[in-house]
Amino acid sequence: MQPAPASPIATFAARAVMLAVVWLMLTLGDPSAWGFGAVVIALVAALSVLLFPPSIHRLRPLGLVQFLTYFLGHSLIAGIDVARRLLTPSLPIRPGEITLSLRLPEGGPRWLLANTLSLMPGTLSVHLEENQLTVHCLDTSDAIEPGVRQAEFQVARAFGITLDPPEGVRA
Amino acid sequence: MFDGLVIAVQLVLLVAGCVFFAMGSLGLFRFPDTLTRIHALTKADNLGLGFIVVALLPLAPSFAAGFKTLLIWVVALAASATSAHLVARAVRGNTVGGSRTEDDDG
Repeated sequence: MQPAPASPIATFAARAVMLAVVWLMLTLGDPSAWGFGAVVIALVAALSVLLFPPSIHRLRPLGLVQFLTYFLGHSLIAGIDVARRLLTPSLPIRPGEITLSLRLPEGGPRWLLANTLSLMPGTLSVHLEENQLTVHCLDTSDAIEPGVRQAEFQVARAFGITLDPPEGVRA
Repeated sequence: MFDGLVIAVQLVLLVAGCVFFAMGSLGLFRFPDTLTRIHALTKADNLGLGFIVVALLPLAPSFAAGFKTLLIWVVALAASATSAHLVARAVRGNTVGGSRTEDDDG
């Protein structure tokens, strides 16, 4: 099942609505800002469709909520983890890198995963090429790969993608 | 009574936010190299800003202003993740022996 990308017009309209909501927040609903805002929104939406054409991967509301819950929880763990290491006199870190094969399709999903991992406990996305993601780890003795796979699963669910069987997982 | 509780929670969140910002800065001094320092900065500052934003939400004069405050956090997160990745990629490109070269004239 391969859904077709949305038409450029529909994408333009959807992004314009999103930008309008952001503009509404930025200007706190000041009516005098709408004239300028309308022009900027139209230009930015048009530019975004040119630069980032409609994709077959769209965020699902339910999956997005689940992803955000996961993200907030793990942001908290990540911050506390770094603080704990910093406050321990022996500075318990064992930095290193691992490279993994991603199962997510390219484009938005991979990009979201790479950026998410930089804010998750112990991982920092260093290099993404094709489906090979290199992650810098704060502590290589931690179980890094299960964490990355969990984040990958969360991103896939946010986009409504079913992942292939985990061939990249090394036991 | 209820107001007092809200203020107490805000106070705790603000202090927690500042503590995590301090942690990010401490990471700059304690961690040994650029990549580990980025770990500290992105993760601790993300959380610090998050706490401060949540603490300020009850003070927002309107719904839109509250969302504007949240928007600051979202944009800061995106900027922090992106810049962390770019710095990490640049550092690694330099230390691994230049498998990637920047396309400038130098």
